[in-house]
Amino acid sequence: MSTTALKYEPARTQSLLQEIMERSGQNLRACYQCRRCAAGCPVGDETKGVTPDRLIRMIVLGDEEGVLNNLLTWKCVSCYTCGTRCPNNIQTARINETLKHIAKEKHSQPLLPKVASFHDAFMKSASHFGRFNEVEFMGLYQLQNAKQGGLKGIIEEVKSASRLGIAMMNKKRMHFSLAKVKKLSEVKSLYKKSKEKGAGH
Amino acid sequence: MVEIAYYPGCTLHASSELYDVQCKAVLGKLGIELKELEDWNCCGATSAAKTDEFLSIALPARNLGIADASGYSEMVIPCSSCYSRTLVSQKRLLEDPELKNTINAELSLKVQGKTKIRSILEILIPKAASGELTEKAAKKLEGLQPACYYGCLLTRFPVDLDVPDNVENPQGMEVICKAIGAKPLDWSFKTDCCGAAASVNDTDTSLFLMSRIMKDAIARGANCFVTTCPMCQFNLDAYQDQVRAKYGISQQLPVYFITELIGVAMGISPQALQIDRHFVDAMGLLKELKLL
Repeated sequence: MSTTALKYEPARTQSLLQEIMERSGQNLRACYQCRRCAAGCPVGDETKGVTPDRLIRMIVLGDEEGVLNNLLTWKCVSCYTCGTRCPNNIQTARINETLKHIAKEKHSQPLLPKVASFHDAFMKSASHFGRFNEVEFMGLYQLQNAKQGGLKGIIEEVKSASRLGIAMMNKKRMHFSLAKVKKLSEVKSLYKKSKEKGAGH
Repeated sequence: MVEIAYYPGCTLHASSELYDVQCKAVLGKLGIELKELEDWNCCGATSAAKTDEFLSIALPARNLGIADASGYSEMVIPCSSCYSRTLVSQKRLLEDPELKNTINAELSLKVQGKTKIRSILEILIPKAASGELTEKAAKKLEGLQPACYYGCLLTRFPVDLDVPDNVENPQGMEVICKAIGAKPLDWSFKTDCCGAAASVNDTDTSLFLMSRIMKDAIARGANCFVTTCPMCQFNLDAYQDQVRAKYGISQQLPVYFITELIGVAMGISPQALQIDRHFVDAMGLLKELKLL
């Protein structure tokens, strides 16, 4: 079996690298592949070989497809271990955040759709009343899953959600009261401003 | 009473209301009155960082503006996620005047950047160091061997910030536990991530991360966890039966908030501390050790 040489297209590579560096605020050129990030990454065992150092390499080589569709970007738990241990202070978790923003702007299908719908539903819920509402959130999240995963997906989700919901009610940890920010227009204006700017910027 | 600004965040007003109650009760006994921030909003937590760069800075900024206008020099944020996001916002706005102006233009109370943000540990540690905590803790928590669990967000930040404890091996909670007579253990997973942000949307990952944390705590001889983060507390508590079933862990470990242990040591009733609202029974161990 022959191995394919790395394809390196300077023009495309530079623009992708530049965009990610600017938006994430991370200097990826400083990475010298020491892999301390990989050793510390808690989800590194579950990302099919894509550790933070590999992701940085993919970006430098301009592999846009791989950069937006890899398990690390979607499984990253934002624990910031990689960046804390990086001798050159590169926060790969910030890169993963930026990549999710880019994926959203490009309307590309997230590799793990539930991760994207979870965080979208959280932000939507927080926008309605200025405070996060657990009950409304679960509704929004399931709705998004239904749109993406169809009926089978939602049945599984509702099963596990109701198991948790019942336990929460038994322990009086479920709240149905509605907390609302008084100056809600101010919070809404921040959401509006974000839309004007393009959320990822 | 010393007054200090207080940002509870959404969780302490919802699923972790017990933590709100405990913070007020325990700090009250230490002469600190929590003054809840007027009309605060959600900080956006991990979700804002993952979906919306601008809002991840702007949402905590509105709270910072309210805090700066409140007249208090310090604000305590017990939730690690809110604490982290608020600190990050404050730092970014300090470094980026243009962004600060853009955000301030939308706010009635402008961010000035003068309020000092404190974690719950930063408030409690001086009280332990001065001996006040030991003095007020009538009951010594003998027999309690907690694995002090810090999680990610208390010591690791996505921007350069001065961390008031050792980043990889923090000791603040151990200092407090010792001051109230408990025996905290050395262990390896105190700052490892429990995957709370993934528990609903990528459950397998979260269960795996928690299994490693639980196995090490048990191997070291811990009989409970103690934490300051409501995300970690909820995750390790509500999903513990699933972790144990999937990874064949027979022992169960109650997951206490630090304020719960201090409250018990101070003689505050378990009802007042709402210790009965845990998923994993948290009363049994305390009764067994004759601490209740």
